[in-house]
Amino acid sequence: MHDPEAMPERLAAFLTELDGGRTARVTAYEAMIGGYSRLMARADVHWSDGTTEVLVLRGDPPPGKSMAETDRDAEHALLRALGDSGVIATPRVRGYDPQGDRLGTKCIVIEFVHGQPLQAILNGTEAATHSTHAEALVDSMAAVHSIDPGVLAEVLPHPPDWHTYMHGLIDRFRSSDEGHVEPMPVLRYVAAWLESHLPPPLPLRVVHSDFQPANIMVDTDGVHQMVDWEFAHIGDPREDLGYYNVYAAALGPNLFALDPDGFLARYRERTGFDEAAVNMQTMAYFSSLAAISVYSQILAGAGAMARGENSGLMTTYTLNALTVGHSNFLAGCAATDDPETH
Amino acid sequence: MLSLPTTEQIILDCRSELLNTIDPAVAEPAVKIAIQMMENVLRNCATRAAHEIAWMTEETATMVAYAERVAASAEQRAGVRSALERFTAQRSSSLHLDDVARTYHLASACLSAALDTAMAEGDAALAAEGRAIIQQRVATELQIMGEWSFVGRG
Repeated sequence: MHDPEAMPERLAAFLTELDGGRTARVTAYEAMIGGYSRLMARADVHWSDGTTEVLVLRGDPPPGKSMAETDRDAEHALLRALGDSGVIATPRVRGYDPQGDRLGTKCIVIEFVHGQPLQAILNGTEAATHSTHAEALVDSMAAVHSIDPGVLAEVLPHPPDWHTYMHGLIDRFRSSDEGHVEPMPVLRYVAAWLESHLPPPLPLRVVHSDFQPANIMVDTDGVHQMVDWEFAHIGDPREDLGYYNVYAAALGPNLFALDPDGFLARYRERTGFDEAAVNMQTMAYFSSLAAISVYSQILAGAGAMARGENSGLMTTYTLNALTVGHSNFLAGCAATDDPETH
Repeated sequence: MLSLPTTEQIILDCRSELLNTIDPAVAEPAVKIAIQMMENVLRNCATRAAHEIAWMTEETATMVAYAERVAASAEQRAGVRSALERFTAQRSSSLHLDDVARTYHLASACLSAALDTAMAEGDAALAAEGRAIIQQRVATELQIMGEWSFVGRG
């Protein structure tokens, strides 16, 4: 993938061998924009039996050029399990190059979704039409959180219990601080604050962990297909609620802010969670907590750059995402303290 | 040395060239997004070049003063005292950026230790004071960030 000129031939050979019968010809290959952590490309494929299809490649950037390090093997195993179980709509995996010797880097080949990202749809439509999208977004989030974690037991480790999980998650603020190249007092403060304000527990569920409209492909039938599962884990489902809120507040439009009570009521109805666990206060709590998974990856990239181990525009550009994170961490603490949210 | 035009002016001039000369000549979407990202990075760098030594110096004084107050009133003060001793022993009065940053890190460690103590002891007044200092640090970060969005998403 690091050499786009060579990719049509390499991909064609890879697909042909994978298919075992037909011969593939790649007639177009182009980098896709919008992916931050991984390289993305789109390929048009013509098969020797006359059929055609479009595929998406999702691979690792060159060493030292990644803003966040995640595990392609784990992501591939998860995508396979999701596809095989049929528990959620997501593009099917067509192939995987685990060594990177065929496609130039560790790379997952998945089916292309004919449609648009929900973010593009929202960007191109009037706010008055967004309430329908808000309902569909809630339903998609609830669908993720309704997956039986046991279905993915082989690929996503299950924490022993909610309290252990939450303490471990909060501890990531401290470990991020300790592992960084300079002290980050904000992380120490937020960790202590979160520990002292734990919400009522919920059953641990599949958490997408980068739940945002850019990662929801709306296909031509209007079905939401979730993509970019690289940060997924078993955790507290409210992480996705909080993450969506802070992400959408930064990028806009924020469908939660359209009707916060209605948004949460629909989520409760779709998941069966009660109001003691899902309310404005716990939303504020998880708006502070939820971004730590992505944040810690970006911070690690920034630290690697400071040590001279990493470089690249994406790392410097996303330094501001750390600032957004700090702002959201503190805003979530303040909102949870605010009697108005109780 | 030549002090004028300032580093901020020079960086902003490069940014202007990027936007007005290079960007219009580029059609490739991925490169146009990279240009938008570089514009943002250059703007951030310009702001930092103009102010970061002053901002770090001011914050250093605020953080250390707070840690000294916590060390004076808290019961479990060993961590804060230790951080303050390190600050006193290793701080630099040099204005070279690396030295200012090292001193800032020592002061940040004092703030972290002081916050740990204030929160652990449940001292609401000291915890609130520490939170206000963190909010000021984040306000400075936001000033550096300026207008920022996830370029290219969606």
